[in-house]
Amino acid sequence: MMKRFLIALVALMLAGPVLAQSGPLRLTITDGVIEPLPFAVPSFEPENAAAAQVAADITRLVSLDLSGTGLFREIPASAFISAHSSFAQAVAYPDWRAINAQALISGAVTVSGNQLIVKFRLYDVFSGSEMGGGLQFAGTVDGWRRMAHKVADAAYGRITGEGGYFDSRIVFVSESGPKDNRQKRLAIMDFDGANMQFLTDSSALVLAPRFSPTGDRVLYTSFASGFPRINVLDVTSVGTRQLQTADGEMAFSPRFSRDGTQVIYSLANGGNTDIYRGDIASGASTRLTSAPSIETAPSLSPDGSQIVFESDRSGTQQMYIMSANGGDARRISFGDGRYATPVWSPRGDLIAFTKQNAGRFHIGVMRTDGSEERLLTSSFLDEGPTWSPNGRVIMFMRETQGAGGTSSLYSVDVSGRNLKPVPLPNGASDPSWGPLQP
Amino acid sequence: MRSAGTYISAIGHVGLIGWLISGWGFSSEPLPFEVAEVSVVSGEEFAAILAATTPQPDVANPTAPAQPLIEDAPTPIEPETAPQVVPTPEPAVQPDAETPPPEAPEPPAPPSDVADVAPEPPAPPAVEAAPDLAVSPRPQPRPAPRVAPVAVAPPAPEADVADIVRDAVVPDDSAVAEVVEPAQTPTAPEEAATEIAIEDAAPSGAVTTSARPRTRPNRPAPATETPTTTASDDAAVAAAVAAAMAATAPDLPAGPPMSGSEKEGFRVAVNRCWNVDPGSEAARVTVTVAFGLDRDGGVQGDVRQLAVDGGTSGSQSIAFQAARRAILRCGASGYDLPADKYDQWREVEITFDPSGMRLR
Repeated sequence: MMKRFLIALVALMLAGPVLAQSGPLRLTITDGVIEPLPFAVPSFEPENAAAAQVAADITRLVSLDLSGTGLFREIPASAFISAHSSFAQAVAYPDWRAINAQALISGAVTVSGNQLIVKFRLYDVFSGSEMGGGLQFAGTVDGWRRMAHKVADAAYGRITGEGGYFDSRIVFVSESGPKDNRQKRLAIMDFDGANMQFLTDSSALVLAPRFSPTGDRVLYTSFASGFPRINVLDVTSVGTRQLQTADGEMAFSPRFSRDGTQVIYSLANGGNTDIYRGDIASGASTRLTSAPSIETAPSLSPDGSQIVFESDRSGTQQMYIMSANGGDARRISFGDGRYATPVWSPRGDLIAFTKQNAGRFHIGVMRTDGSEERLLTSSFLDEGPTWSPNGRVIMFMRETQGAGGTSSLYSVDVSGRNLKPVPLPNGASDPSWGPLQP
Repeated sequence: MRSAGTYISAIGHVGLIGWLISGWGFSSEPLPFEVAEVSVVSGEEFAAILAATTPQPDVANPTAPAQPLIEDAPTPIEPETAPQVVPTPEPAVQPDAETPPPEAPEPPAPPSDVADVAPEPPAPPAVEAAPDLAVSPRPQPRPAPRVAPVAVAPPAPEADVADIVRDAVVPDDSAVAEVVEPAQTPTAPEEAATEIAIEDAAPSGAVTTSARPRTRPNRPAPATETPTTTASDDAAVAAAVAAAMAATAPDLPAGPPMSGSEKEGFRVAVNRCWNVDPGSEAARVTVTVAFGLDRDGGVQGDVRQLAVDGGTSGSQSIAFQAARRAILRCGASGYDLPADKYDQWREVEITFDPSGMRLR
């Protein structure tokens, strides 16, 4: 046995130098480039005359959705070499390679009556193959925007490997009027600001709406009774009902649990504010913190096991994490300034927050252990971050300075790039991003 | 190291000992006794003389015996100047080091194998700062090899020589801008001077540092697994021996190994097509891929995934796709590689490690 081993060893020693010299060339690359991925979307093919307009609209919106992420760059149709006018036509990859298109989206649209059918395929140009199979969506002509968002989500997911966020909605507080007499109403919109609708009238002050995990209900704080109370609103029926709280208690800052059956919220009683968990159906509640300081703005981790919240127990507003059942909390924010409104990322790896330091407000993110803090924005007043369903984008409220200052919604990529306003007719604040729609 | 210090120390000691001797001789009187012994006298005379002469030496002391010894003491001072003489022995040692001319006959032998390889072995620990020396490390004794109407300062070491001056463009993570320029190597016009300078007229071109030798190109591959893993030991041994014997004969690589700048050029050619999205989960995945190249530098067959580390299966797939796309895109018209070293780059393995680009 030993002899064999020795023979093998000798053989390897003989072979070693040869293998070393004739082996592959080995390189390590650590610095790539960061640039939007160029893609091409030839106009979707209208499969009948009625579909011509909506096919063009859908093509435009798919392109806008993808370009709007900052991760993709559309190649203008004027640069196309290959016409690719038919959905069934084979792709002439060299033509698309020549204009450096890395992804090609091809689609077809059929309209019959009020029914709309959208088909699409996605191609990886440089490997000359299709990415995933073809997909087909059916809906109504009125819902053509959602169909376009669905196509964009599918393309985004296949290229990036992460879920999209285009077919999602955002609930927020729509604001109108001057700062000293501002009308606030709950409103809902598509992620891109389209299809805005009001959910409440302007009779009572409303604050901090929060989507349920399934997107069918909204929690918000209403001052209709003079005291802050938590209401649950059904998005489809627009019916509301109030969560039970005792007289003299002020409940606010609610969020749904991950299963949507419970609410975690803040309750102020006798000058002390603590975090509670309440059952929506029965109204039973459990106190989770009992410090004499102010604990508020709770947000659950995606697995529902932990809660991040803000507290001034150290003397200034800082962020803490505790078990979802209460108990000891550990502080995670240690930088200069004050930290507020923590929100746990749907991916679970980051916590977004508002930071106030040296007279400026920032939206930032840090890892759940408090490390790798990065500030993404800076302005006179940035506040109230909310995560896109895929944990890639943060939307927040930005208010401008002065008596005539207006508030509006902005979105920013988690990398700090692609900061841009959400186009809305009125002022807006307190956004809450809902899930991808089914 | 036998330096002047050693000699000074030695001479100092000698001086000290000399002084001690002189001091001892000064106070001692045996010398006169020795003198007395030389003259043969009777015992009585001796006793009388002894009694009488004892004072004499005291008087004589300052004159004869002590002074010579004191003259010896000054000699230690001489040695102090002597170190000047002493160093000469050291030069005698240096000549040994410099005499490699005589030893040179030995080095010339390796150069006969391969000129490049000879300098490498002496300094394997060379750091990878070597890429910076992509420009010819040979110092120019004359101000500039090129003459142009306008004097041009030597380009930065990392700059390519070109007619148009461009600044390096580096991806800016902090910028909000949506469009990020791809990284590109800076270019600068070739170095030039306004006059022809004669070598003699420009003695200041002396080199202070020399180019660091490059590291050895290929580390022996850990190819220890192939033979030992098979079930049958005999078969394994036979296979290993056969493989070794077979491998020794035909597979000798043709041509010299690739130089550092050639590898660097290839690396840059691929990484300018490697698009990383630092906010994605795929930016946490390190992937190693392998592919073959034909003689024109074109990618042969498909890019294969060899190893992957970190991330979820979904993000791993995306990371591999990004690596594959980089290789295919930038190699669409063939990589520019030295044809005479084809055996060195016929098979390529590249590790794409985005850890340095991840968001912080």
